[in-house]
Parts: sequence; C-alpha cells; structure tokens
Amino acid sequence: MTFHPILSALLRSKTGPILVALQVGLSLAILANALHIVDERRAMAARPSGLADEHAIFSISVRDVADMTPELELSAMKRQIDVLRAIPGVVAVANVSQMPLSRSGSTASLALDRRQTRESAQASMYIAGDSLVKGFGLRLIEGRDFLPHEVIEVNLSASMKIPAQGMMTKPLADKLWPQASAVGRTIYFGSGENAQAVQIVGVVERLQSPHAQAGPEAEQSIVIPARLYGAGQGSLLSVRTEAGQRDRVMREAETALVRASPMPQLIRMVTVDDDRNARYRADLALQWALIIVSVLLLLVTCSGIVGMASLWVAQRRKQIGVRRALGARRIDILRYFIAENLIITSCGVVTGLLLGVQLNQLLVSQLEVAHLPFVYLAGGAIMLWILGVAAAWGPAWRAARISPATATRGVTQ
Amino acid sequence: MYSYYFRLGVRSLRRNPALTLLMLLTLAVGVAASISTLTVVHVLSGDPIPAKSAKLLVPQIDNGPVAGYTGTQEPKDLQMSYTDAANLLRSGQGRRRTAMYGVTLPIESPRKDLPAFNATGLASTRDFFAMFDVPFLYGQPWSKADDDKGADVVVLGRATAQRLFGNNNPVGMQVTQRSTPYIVVGVVDTWAPLPRYYKLIGGDPFGRAEEFFIPLNNATQRKIAPSGNVSCEVDREPGFAALLTSECTWLQFWFELGDASERDALHGWLRNYTQDQQRLARLKRNAPVGLYDVMQWMEKLKVVGNDSKLSAWLAFGFLLLCLVNTVGLLLAKFSARAAEIGVRRALGASRMDIFRQFVIETAVVGLAGGVLGLVLAFGALNLIGMQSTAMAAVAHIDWKMLLLTFVVSVLSSLLAGVLPTWRACNVTPAMQLKSQ
Repeated sequence: MTFHPILSALLRSKTGPILVALQVGLSLAILANALHIVDERRAMAARPSGLADEHAIFSISVRDVADMTPELELSAMKRQIDVLRAIPGVVAVANVSQMPLSRSGSTASLALDRRQTRESAQASMYIAGDSLVKGFGLRLIEGRDFLPHEVIEVNLSASMKIPAQGMMTKPLADKLWPQASAVGRTIYFGSGENAQAVQIVGVVERLQSPHAQAGPEAEQSIVIPARLYGAGQGSLLSVRTEAGQRDRVMREAETALVRASPMPQLIRMVTVDDDRNARYRADLALQWALIIVSVLLLLVTCSGIVGMASLWVAQRRKQIGVRRALGARRIDILRYFIAENLIITSCGVVTGLLLGVQLNQLLVSQLEVAHLPFVYLAGGAIMLWILGVAAAWGPAWRAARISPATATRGVTQ
Repeated sequence: MYSYYFRLGVRSLRRNPALTLLMLLTLAVGVAASISTLTVVHVLSGDPIPAKSAKLLVPQIDNGPVAGYTGTQEPKDLQMSYTDAANLLRSGQGRRRTAMYGVTLPIESPRKDLPAFNATGLASTRDFFAMFDVPFLYGQPWSKADDDKGADVVVLGRATAQRLFGNNNPVGMQVTQRSTPYIVVGVVDTWAPLPRYYKLIGGDPFGRAEEFFIPLNNATQRKIAPSGNVSCEVDREPGFAALLTSECTWLQFWFELGDASERDALHGWLRNYTQDQQRLARLKRNAPVGLYDVMQWMEKLKVVGNDSKLSAWLAFGFLLLCLVNTVGLLLAKFSARAAEIGVRRALGASRMDIFRQFVIETAVVGLAGGVLGLVLAFGALNLIGMQSTAMAAVAHIDWKMLLLTFVVSVLSSLLAGVLPTWRACNVTPAMQLKSQ
C-alpha cells in the first residue's frame, strides 16, 4: 500500500482535508481537557467523609423560641440527648459543633510551639460533648477515645476554655509530625503566652471538614471534648441509627422532642446524604455539562468526517470506476479511502495534541485547573482515530461498491 | 435585489433538507452552548446598581496582629471590627454610611395558629435602605431617633409580612423575636438583587432575600450573635460585650459618596484614620487601606466563579468547532451550485453580485440557526438552572442576550461563509458552461 498517490491527491485540493484535520484537532484539545476535569471532579465528590455509614446519620438542630439562661440551655440539651437515645434503632447521639459536608463550621489556628508567630496548620475544629468515634463511627487508628472526665462543659457567655485533650485526623498528624506518632504530643491553639495547650490522645483515620474543600485542608480536622452552651443558639446533635432505620428514627425523633419539651421549639433535621448532595451539586452539574459538550463534540466531528468523505466519493465516482475497470479490487478502494482518512485524522491528532497542551496551560494559569496528564490526550487521540475510521467506513464502503461500468458511462458523444 | 437573494436563500435551504438540517443543527448547538454559558457569566458579573455602583464603596482596614506579619499578606477576612465600624459610622464621611451583620432569630407572630419559625435577617443602620435603593411596600425605614436608640423596631421582607399578616398592612403591628416584642415600621417590596452584593461575605450570596431588618444598635444592645463569618486572629474574652471590643471582624461597611470624584478624599481620610489608630496602638499592622466600589468588590470576592468561566470558554471552543464544520458544509453546498453561478456570470452578473447573493444566503442560514439556537439555549439554561439555587436565579435570558444570540449566530455563519463565498465568486463561467 503506497501512500504517495494518496498524499499527492490530498495535497492537490487542500481545503477539505485541512478543515477535517482542524475539526479533529479542536475536538481532541477540548475533549482531553473536558474529560480530565470531569475525572477530577468525580474523584473529589467520591472522597469519603470518614463517617462509618453516611446513610444512617442525620443532625438535629433544636432551638427554643424564647430566650433561655445558659443553665437552662445545658439541661435542655442533656434532656434532648436522653430522649433521642431512648428511641429504638438509635446507635449513638453526640452533641457536636458542626457536621461534615454541611458547609458551615469553624477552623482553628494550630501551633507547635508557643513562641511561633506563624501557624503550623489550620484545622477544622469539631467541639463534641459526646464521643464522635461512636457518634460518627470514626475509625480510631492510634491512641484512644476521650475518657468521660476529660469532657468539660463550657458556658460560652462566661468562658472560652479549651479542654486539655484532643484528637486529630491522620493527615493533620502527618503534616505536624511527619515521621512520628501524634499520640502524647502537645499542640497549641493560637500562639503566644496565652495559647492553650492540648495533648493529643488519639488519631482517627479520616474526618472531613464541613466545607470539604478541593485541597488537602479538607482532611485536616481536630476534635476537642467540650460541651458548649450559653450562646443562645440552641443545640446541634448528631444521631447515628442502625442501617436502614434513619427515616423512621427521624420521624420519631421530632415527635419525641416536641413531647419532651414544655416550651415551643424550632427543630431542623438534615441528613448527611442531603448535605453531601448539596455540597457537590454544582460539581455534578459541571460534570454533566462537560460530558454533554464532549458527546456533541464527537457527534459534530463525526458528521464533519462523514460529510467530507461522502463529498469526495461523489466527486471521484469516475476515477474510482476507472480504477476498478483497470483491475482494482473492492478492498483496494476501501483501503484507499480508509488510509486517506487515517492520514487526515493523524494530522488532526498532532494539531490537537499541541492545541490541547496550550489550552490546558491557559486554563491552569487563568482558571486554577489542574495540569493535564498525557494519558487523557493519548486516550482522546485513540478515540478520535477510531471515530475517524468508523465515520469514513460508510462512504468508503459505498465507494468500493461503485461498479467499473461508470468508467465508460461518461464517454458519450 | 436583496429581497430576491433572501428568497433564493430560503429556497436553497429547502432544496437539500438533510444537509440543511445538519448545518442548522450544528450551528444552533454551538450558538446555544455559547449563549447559555455566556448568559450565566453575564448575569453574575452584571452591575447590580448601575446608577450608583461607582459611588458605593467598601473600606477595608487590616486590624490583624503584627506577629508573623510579612508586610504584604492579605488579611484572612475582609470584614470589619465593631470598633472600626462604630468609628466610621460616627465620622460623617461620605454622603451616607451603613454597617451591617447577619442575624438569625425565631419569629413568633401574634396569630396563635402560626408556629414560630427561624428567620434570617440583617442588623443595619437606617441609611441602608436609602443607599441601596430598597423599595418599600408599606411604611418606611425607622427614624433616626430609633436608629440611635436601638429601639425594638423591625422592617419585614415582603414574603415574611405575607406569611405573618396576609395581605394586610402590618405597620404598627407587633411581632415577637426571642421573647421581645418588636413594632413593624415598614415592609420592603420584592427586592432580591442577585448576587446580594451588599453582603457578599457569610451566607449564600444567591440565597433567599432577607426576611427582616432591625437597627444595628438594637442588635448589639440585645446581644444578638452574628450569624455569618466571625474571624478572630487574636484571642478574645468570652461573651458578646467582649466581641464588640475585640479585633474580631464580623461587620460589613459601606460608604455612599455624593459624587464618584470624592473617592480620593475619602481614601485620604481613611489613611489618616488608620494612622491615628496605629498611634493609639490599636491597629498593629502598617497595612494599606483598601477601598472598593461595587464592581471591584464583586471582582475581589470572585462572584463569577471559575466554573462558570470554564463552561463559557469550553462552549466557545465548541462554537469554533461548529464553525469549522459549517465551513465544510457550506463549501459542499455552494460547490453544488457551480453550474448555476456559471450561468449567472455568463448572463452578466459581476463578482460583486455573486458575492452579495451568497452573503445573503449565508446570513439566512445564520438567522435560521439563531432561531433554533435560541430554542436550544432556553433548554440549556433550564438544565443549568437545576445546578443550584444560585444558578436557578441567574440562568435567565434577558433581551440583551436574546439579541446577542442572533448576532452571534449570523456573525458565525458569515465568518464560516467567507471561504465558500469567495470560492463561489471565483467560479469561471466558461468552465461551467462547457461541461453542460
């Protein structure tokens, strides 16, 4: 199979081949970048939060309509926890300051040494009045959970005391003490002489922050054992149920809480599933938009190739007839057109590889997109090669079926 | 002649329906993708208050600690502390000024059959309503005396007033918030600028409109905690009173100038103020003072997110692909008419006539593609609207984008038609007539 005649035929009328190659190139550039972004977002949304079974956990925020003194707030919270624990199907209830993936929470500046002026790390701060290892089903990999006497009660209108013990996630521990175990070490909240010292007693494998940011900050969390009250905002309780029991428990929880309290309350319940969907809703929408654009891209390119190939077959009917009359077999005609298509697609792929890298650099510099690994360009190139051959097959097959008689038909006097 | 060409264009579209449909679809899809993503970016970055956006300014004062300050870093939070906000409110600078923070309170209505509900609102000064051109349905903002005193008065949002009082005028009625009775002095008409440019920090700038407004002094006297971002770079004492005196930032401040040219004077005054505060050893960092107008503030806080820009760029890349595809299709379409062009030229038509004919035909393709593209763009915007509440509010075509759809479509097809039209003009009559 010699390529010379094909090349010289292509070079004679360059417009068509250039248009097809340009389409293939643009498609590859956009496709590779789009698929890469889709993959990145999908991976981000698939990150586990660290909770044992997200489908079985929900949070309740209870707030009295009327003003309450701090002492009344504390006793109300304890009463609510007892009521919830009594519901069948409930595995654990925990008073917590924030819920993962809820997009609302606080962070703390941590320092390794009081004398530091810059923070060592910023961590998402979970302040829990009850065990989160039980409440969230966290996986404890080093050390131990908090002991009951280590949990302090803090009246926020009077004090900002931080407990003496804490627990952190493994990524945070690795950041602060890269080679060593965090258990037994001390961390300081803030810096300066008044910075409060906290001793790490346990390390959990994973607990995501409420904002679940794209970068490593999402996995840096610290848990401190304190029951907060007196801020006038009511209590936030996390309830973990047995598998499949969550919806029933949610209904029973609302009625139980209303019945247990003499005063009118505002109760709001949100499941972790809902939080997760809300957090990643925009990312999912972007993924769909990119996938739709990619499919349309391939369709448009395919139609372009089919169109061009059909046009050339129509223009060269006589030529094909002559070739067949001179002895070319059907398979030779087919191979000719497929080879022609492959050459054009390959030129397009090369253009696309260059354009794709350029486009990615533009996106990296302007829109904080991640760097494009070569595998996406390679995969895209293969996809377009296959698409090109598949698109050209139809017209090439029709070309192969042109009978030799057309060679002589045009010669009429 | 042009109406004749127009009719010729329409007729040629009907001649080969498959080719026409393919061409129109390709163009329409490209135009729809570009216009729908561009609409989102356009609405997100639009000026929410064009008459005043250069006269409304946000001051930004860095009150962070000096330990670890490199001299160039940005403060963690762009809000303001209460001390600075109170000082600036008293300063009398600019034509008007206001400070605000978000609050969440349970509201009980006097009707016993309606249960209490949590409402999100704003604690601000009375100038807020005049500064941001807030329309009133009933009543008016509270008086200056009430503002200074921090009286228990409230302005309700329209939806909240409807929920509590139905269609009646509630001015003078009472609502209870956290066991305290508040008198309703006004009801704000439907007002939901998107994004909520006056309070971009803390809370969703595309979320629900405020349900109520109370005087700032009332909120601080009643120790209503901020519901939004509170950023404390230094330790503070517990309790609300300590929050007021600390260097935690949790308020958002706006100046309104009489004229945009007063901006430099205001900036100078702010610089003097920060130097005074540094001399008093309250402000520790020797940091520059920031002053942003509405558009600059939205830019700084990245209201148009990267995702929207990414979608718009990729959509335009897709439009480019559709254009290249259309060039090929137009080439094919026009080359089939070579004989017809040859006859026209032989009969005396100049190159210019042929050019005009095919430009009009291309424009017809563009118009038809624009109509189809508009239909598809509506669908695409509906899909985009399902993404989040923000997008649902933002994904609507206004007349400017409608016009732009047709402009983009016609321009695209004209651009795609340059090469084919040029080819058509260069058809030599003799060659065409010979092959008949």
